[in-house]
Amino acid sequence: MKRSHHPWKLLTGWLCVILAIAVMTGCSPAAEPKPGVKQIAAGQEFSGFLKDYASLKPNPNLDGEALTYAATDAKQNLRNYFAIIVDPVEVYVATDADVSQVSDEGRIALTNYFQHALIGAVSDAFPVVDTPSPLTLRLRTALVGVDVGGEVAAGDVPADAKPFARALNIGKVGVEMELVDSKTGERIAAMVDKANVGAGAEVGAAQFSRVQKFAAAREAFDEWASRVRMFLDSEHEIKGPEAARTEQSYQPYE
Amino acid sequence: MKTVSLILCAVLLLYSAPYVAMQDEVPFPVYVDSDICARLMLGPITTARVDCSVQTHKDGSNPVLVRLDDNTVFDPNKPKLVKDHVGGFGEATGEVKVKSGTMKLKNFKPLDRKDIPEGPSTKLLDVRTYKATGNAQLHEKIRHELAMIAYITTFDFISFTLVGNDVILTGWTVRDTNRSDAEYRVKKIEGVNKVTNNIEILPLGGTDMEIRAAARLALQRNLSTYFWSNGSDIKIIVKNGIVILLGSVRTQQDFDIATIQTNSVSFVFHVFNLLRVTGPEQKEKKG
Repeated sequence: MKRSHHPWKLLTGWLCVILAIAVMTGCSPAAEPKPGVKQIAAGQEFSGFLKDYASLKPNPNLDGEALTYAATDAKQNLRNYFAIIVDPVEVYVATDADVSQVSDEGRIALTNYFQHALIGAVSDAFPVVDTPSPLTLRLRTALVGVDVGGEVAAGDVPADAKPFARALNIGKVGVEMELVDSKTGERIAAMVDKANVGAGAEVGAAQFSRVQKFAAAREAFDEWASRVRMFLDSEHEIKGPEAARTEQSYQPYE
Repeated sequence: MKTVSLILCAVLLLYSAPYVAMQDEVPFPVYVDSDICARLMLGPITTARVDCSVQTHKDGSNPVLVRLDDNTVFDPNKPKLVKDHVGGFGEATGEVKVKSGTMKLKNFKPLDRKDIPEGPSTKLLDVRTYKATGNAQLHEKIRHELAMIAYITTFDFISFTLVGNDVILTGWTVRDTNRSDAEYRVKKIEGVNKVTNNIEILPLGGTDMEIRAAARLALQRNLSTYFWSNGSDIKIIVKNGIVILLGSVRTQQDFDIATIQTNSVSFVFHVFNLLRVTGPEQKEKKG
């Protein structure tokens, strides 16, 4: 007698198989990406944080390896904006780094400090605001190439500061950033800065800014932020034939 | 010994605090002006200036206080106290903040012109003693320095006047850095004596931002010849819905287009078109 298969039995069987696969995948630590952590793909020159790298060119106004882009359209260029939203900084871990050793608190410490440094560097020229509006830029930034450092000894940090299990090494970090129109998302300027300003620097505690041992890291972040500002300054410089027109146009009211 | 020093310090502080506060709150003679005339008509208080103050205030420009001693402009926190006295004089008492150009006004007493005590305060009242007497070379150096400020946009206008070797900076900017940069650049010019900084930092309210963007778009579309990639001949100052057009255009027609286009922008409360017409048409009229 031929055995008949009832349709609901078949359905239940398939559901069990799907459920089993889902449970197995969910439990596998290797397959789950660590939230908030991104890693540079092997063999890639850039992180992929910027949508387009083709338009970037070496910038003679910045020493070190800096590639920049700035829109020159009369209606859409940097000079048409004067306020800024500074987005939280993203972190891209080096290709060969063990992602599982990058603690969330370490990643947050880096991004918080760098975001703060960026705000300090640009805010007098671009007032920092919270909400998108016309004439407002959005600054997107990523720290690229963060690596896992050595173990942090208890004596390396003050008694009231909790050391990370493993330090974060920023010796080979570079910065990728872009400025987009806060309303439309259109790209106005971008920069990939590979200047080696963090050589030998590590971060081993959340409050690393007040720990002497991590002074090099602090200086590196401040320097990267100041290079972003230098780029903005150089793009605002009045030069060439436009300088003559600007000067001729300006007449005070008396 | 330490305790004695601490007690001495505390006593000194206790005694000096009220004195410092009193220093800030000494009444001083003022001219009640409108925001626009105070920042653009830097000369003496003439009939034309008074007319400008009264008219522009009627049209929506905020009342401000001009300290007669040194021409510093203060935005009072209680404009209601002085709004009925625009175009007149008075004695103001309150805490002034020179850096931000603001004043916590405590009291205002109207004064007749004749009641203003003779001295530095009356300098502004007399055309003969108060006129732009600075030399042309120095004037040109200052003009050049201010023209070359990197972060000046279509939405900023910084002006100045030279009285002897003293410079009064004025105007409006959307950036802190322009205010301080202008003062720094002018101060370092050889021959400049004192700099009074009346440049106002504009608020970045959401509606004002919309107005700025829309006004520039409208003007750029219709008067594109006055805009280039890094600057413009027409400056658009926006403050709480009030738009002030400054700079220059070549023809009366362009002047009129600027007025019409700016008035067509949503949420604009009033347009003050102070553009100069510089073309041959205007020169013929003057001739």
